[in-house]
Amino acid sequence: MTTADDTNDLPTKGVATAGLQKDAGQTAGALASIARDGHFDELRGLVAGSASQQSHLQIPIPIPTQSQSQSQSQSQSSAQFQSQFQSTSSSQASATPDGMPARLSQHWQDFFDFLGPDGFSDLNHRTANLKRQIRDNGVTYNVYADANGPQRPWSLDLFPLIIPAGDWAHIQAGIRQRTRLLNAIMADVYGPQTLLQRGLLPTALVQGHPGYLRAMHGVQPAGGMFLHIAAFDLARGPDGQWAVVSQRTQAPSGLGYLLENRLSISMLFPEAFRGMRVQRLADSYKALVDSMKALSQQANSRIVLLTSGPYNETYFEHAYLARYLGLTLVEGNDLLVRGEFLYLKTLQGLEPVHGVLKRLDDQFLDPLELLADSTLGVPGLLEVIRAGNVQVANAPGSAFLESSAILGFLPALSRDLLGESLTLPSLSTWWCGEQAVMQGMLAQLKNGVIKPTYPATGMASVQGHTQNQRALDEWAGRIVRSAGDYTVQGYAPLGQTPTWNNNCIEPRSAMLRVFALPDGSGCWRVLPGGLARLAGKDNNIASMQYGGSSADVWVLAQPQEAQPSAEPGVHSDTSPHLAASTPHPATSTAGGGIGRKQPVTSRAAENLFWLGRYSERAENSLRLAQLALHSLAGDEQSSAPLMAWVSCLAVSNSLVLVSVPSATQARRVFERALIAGLANVDTNASVGFTLCAVKGAASAVRERLSQEQWHVIVQMERDFFRHCAAFMQPAPDYSLAAALSTLDTTSGYLAAITGAQTDRMMRDDGWRLLSIGRHIERLTMLSGALAQGFESRAVFDDSGFSAIVALFDSTITFHAQYQQRRDLSALLDLLVLDQDNPRSLSWVLMSLKNRLAKLVSNTTHKGTPADRALERLMAGDLPQLANALRSSVQSMDPHELTAAFAQCQLFARALSDQLGQRFFSHASSQLSVGA
Amino acid sequence: MLLHLHHETRYRYSPAVENAHHVVHLAPVSSTAQTVLSHALQIDPAPDHLRTTRDVFGNSRTYFSLHRSHAELCVSALSVVQTYPLAARALHASSPWERVRERYRYRAGSAHDDAWQFVFASPLAPHSAEFAEFALPSFTPSRPIAEAAHHLMARIHQAMEYDGEATDVNTPPLEALRLGKGVCQDFAHIMVACCRALGLPARYVSGYMLTQPAPGQPRLIGCDASHAWASVFCPDAENQQDLSGGPSCGQWLDFDPTNNRVPRDDYITLATGRDYLDVSPLRGVIHGGARHTLSVAVTVTPAGHDAEALEAV
Repeated sequence: MTTADDTNDLPTKGVATAGLQKDAGQTAGALASIARDGHFDELRGLVAGSASQQSHLQIPIPIPTQSQSQSQSQSQSSAQFQSQFQSTSSSQASATPDGMPARLSQHWQDFFDFLGPDGFSDLNHRTANLKRQIRDNGVTYNVYADANGPQRPWSLDLFPLIIPAGDWAHIQAGIRQRTRLLNAIMADVYGPQTLLQRGLLPTALVQGHPGYLRAMHGVQPAGGMFLHIAAFDLARGPDGQWAVVSQRTQAPSGLGYLLENRLSISMLFPEAFRGMRVQRLADSYKALVDSMKALSQQANSRIVLLTSGPYNETYFEHAYLARYLGLTLVEGNDLLVRGEFLYLKTLQGLEPVHGVLKRLDDQFLDPLELLADSTLGVPGLLEVIRAGNVQVANAPGSAFLESSAILGFLPALSRDLLGESLTLPSLSTWWCGEQAVMQGMLAQLKNGVIKPTYPATGMASVQGHTQNQRALDEWAGRIVRSAGDYTVQGYAPLGQTPTWNNNCIEPRSAMLRVFALPDGSGCWRVLPGGLARLAGKDNNIASMQYGGSSADVWVLAQPQEAQPSAEPGVHSDTSPHLAASTPHPATSTAGGGIGRKQPVTSRAAENLFWLGRYSERAENSLRLAQLALHSLAGDEQSSAPLMAWVSCLAVSNSLVLVSVPSATQARRVFERALIAGLANVDTNASVGFTLCAVKGAASAVRERLSQEQWHVIVQMERDFFRHCAAFMQPAPDYSLAAALSTLDTTSGYLAAITGAQTDRMMRDDGWRLLSIGRHIERLTMLSGALAQGFESRAVFDDSGFSAIVALFDSTITFHAQYQQRRDLSALLDLLVLDQDNPRSLSWVLMSLKNRLAKLVSNTTHKGTPADRALERLMAGDLPQLANALRSSVQSMDPHELTAAFAQCQLFARALSDQLGQRFFSHASSQLSVGA
Repeated sequence: MLLHLHHETRYRYSPAVENAHHVVHLAPVSSTAQTVLSHALQIDPAPDHLRTTRDVFGNSRTYFSLHRSHAELCVSALSVVQTYPLAARALHASSPWERVRERYRYRAGSAHDDAWQFVFASPLAPHSAEFAEFALPSFTPSRPIAEAAHHLMARIHQAMEYDGEATDVNTPPLEALRLGKGVCQDFAHIMVACCRALGLPARYVSGYMLTQPAPGQPRLIGCDASHAWASVFCPDAENQQDLSGGPSCGQWLDFDPTNNRVPRDDYITLATGRDYLDVSPLRGVIHGGARHTLSVAVTVTPAGHDAEALEAV
């Protein structure tokens, strides 16, 4: 779908620039405004507003070791704080003497050379493609803590943030060192606590931090690895130096989004991506999973990804990562602690779990010992961790490391624990809990950013320079009163990276998040890429929560560096699966390449079951609505029995409210109510409600659905509501044509979904439950329609007869088999007894029987009451029901027929209940008690 | 004093519980003030898994789980403890309170000690200016910390009315203070929070006290209750060590604001922590049991009076 290939010949570096009046770099330079004063200009590699610093950035020189005064553990001195971050004083524009802006830095020159001078005209087109692709892939970022709130489409800029090899070498070394340091701090704090005893780390920042978990004291994880994933946010200061602003260790997000960013952007700039030797990512992800497996010391270890569920702001990424890494996506209630071991609840029973990649904040992990009212965690999990029977990435208890206040102590801790100076500086950061420091800070609040030391306060960072004197005085007062609660960090105007905005190149402030991951030998590597977060136009806050955007991050390889993972096909970044070498059914990815089927968790099973039911229900109610509207559209002579039948079914399938007069009484009123109700999600079974339910069930098992299937589901729901809104607002237009055309479009989508379900999914027990769900729904709907067909006498009426055949989607078959006969026995033969018609009741019963038999034989029979009840339904009720249908059709007695149809309804309900009892019973409520 | 202790907790569930995890703090630990002569924990039905460890505060902590359906759970702890009357300390022999506050302010290289962690807010004893405001009249300039704490205890006792109905386990202590009502747990949390609000280390003590039957009445079985009080770290006045140097010499002194007295050998300490959540006698997560009833019976009897009493249980 990328259009990059069809716009022009592949430009090669040099060719594009030769023989043309203007090279692409010049074009870019002309289109690009200059970064704001005091910000580093990524495009040109210099600080804006300071002519004196106009040099291309080379490999950054490490900041000299900051002198440590003996009396302070926070080793930056206040004087440095002031000088480092006062904005550069010169206000001269960064332009060459002839008024032309400075040349581009080399990597941006290269990027635009690959684009070619003609490429610029295509950028708007590529932006549109990118937007569409993100929407189609359903990449979202939920606005936080709002379960019902809107999912916001992920925002991604067209241009990557490019990091040349030299800069990256510096960042990489610094991040590895910092990760080693943080891990060593964890090991000390949860072990001998020498850092506390010697006063190198204030007790307030460890035991005074709510993220320090006393329950973890004394725990030594396998390999001494507390931190498997550490995220660092970096800013590029006006001096061109990258500096650490903060670190995330509890459950850092971004690893999935950045992958999605990479897939999209590399496709839009294929020449530059190949030609500039952009480093690939797949190896790093593989190492993460391999390392967890190795540490678990199990031959066949099972690693799961623990999510807090679809309401989390970054759920998209949880599902995406689970699928990419080949891990089972689980919620807390999918897991169970028995003895000192952790298990996964699957259809096949309990399966041991050896590793948990958690995307849940620590406090929610175990309601027994942490937040008692957390329903997201696993009771007893900490006991399993203490017993050393599960690897958790990251080990719980790291949240205290996320406090900004820690940053100021790291230089001294590094010298002490590692015997090294930190090579990558952080923004100078001062914890006010130290009296002398606090006094020094009060006068300088204007130059800094005031941050909360502890997370619970809910306070947002305050940039001193945005505050007036009175506000600053108030802040000073607060700091004096509870000094330890505040941390002051130097203000850094963020480096600005070029973005494409409608024919212009605009500089935007960027914050770079990079990730340290295990290298497999007990140390860490840095994922050669990252997530760049871009601030809004006039903003210096780069955050997805504040409506910013993101960019792919291209880390360039050294010219001499080999790139083993860049070979086509092998671990290419363009594969949506880490372990997949063949086109995938979404469910087939073996965990990390081990040839084992993904288990079906009880929760996934339940959602698949409901996905089946809702998909079938959506098809049925859609067809019913179409049929009803068509019947109403006809001439006024439509038969009364048909109208009665349609009205009854519309009520029993909740297409209209009971209070609406039937079509036989008030045809137009009924028709309008039907049209108005299509998208009314307040009634429990409108077409719109059912489509939402399809999406809801699908989103809970998203990691098991192909991207295409998910895409269709999302589009179906969106289009349906958009069309309905179009003809209902501003003034309702009860046009049959508009409503029917909406229903037709939706039908098309549903057919695609059904196709994907029958033909594109692994036929495991999860799929069997989906299929069983569909058949239960079909049995209910069709038996109900037949029963009402007799009651309303529509079956005895010509137009009613046709409508019933149509509702069963059997018109063509009927005509082929029975020509133009309107014969009741032919109808019952086709719709009740026919063993080849997928919409006959007997066929539905037979399919149910086969699926259930297979499902039950795959799962262990435990002789529980639920097992026995299910067995009775299968071995007793089902054959009995089949017989009743057969004999009632033979007798042609309307009473007997109606009774058999009613029995179908009862059976469907009982089966659904028993399946729930037998397979989904984990839903039993969890309760905290205390005395 | 030789004390026998019986603490029984009984749950009845409906519907039955399929899966349960519990953590209990029901075993007293020997210290200078008490020696545990025997302890037995009986759980019915027998748990599938049980493990006893020391928690980070040095308390005995037992985790157990049941993975079979059970409609009833009974946890019964029997202990025999010898308690000692510690030599009464002169309250004025402790450090001036400001000095203690200074001791627990961070300076580079400040020596850490175990008391330090009890300066910080905890979930049930959060920092609040209101606590500081309430506490300050007791903490006059240079007053020895133990004397100030004793005064504070008396004022809490005076300001608060004991009322078993006014609050529950989840009532924040600040609300109890505003209400002027609560149970021993609230009294203890308020005292702890008041000290911490001034930057002084204070901890929560869970335990029991021996109650005296009314004159002429027999001792009743099961009518006692778990008790709670506060403990304040009181460095010695003569400890003139440099503020940033070595661990402080001093001791934790207990204060019982509910009864306005200093605990002696008629008290048994069960566990100490930052607040109730660290040391709750029994805490659990169950699957099922949407409706349940709970009954707790505690009996503390002095040796000599206890032979027949213990047989009764």
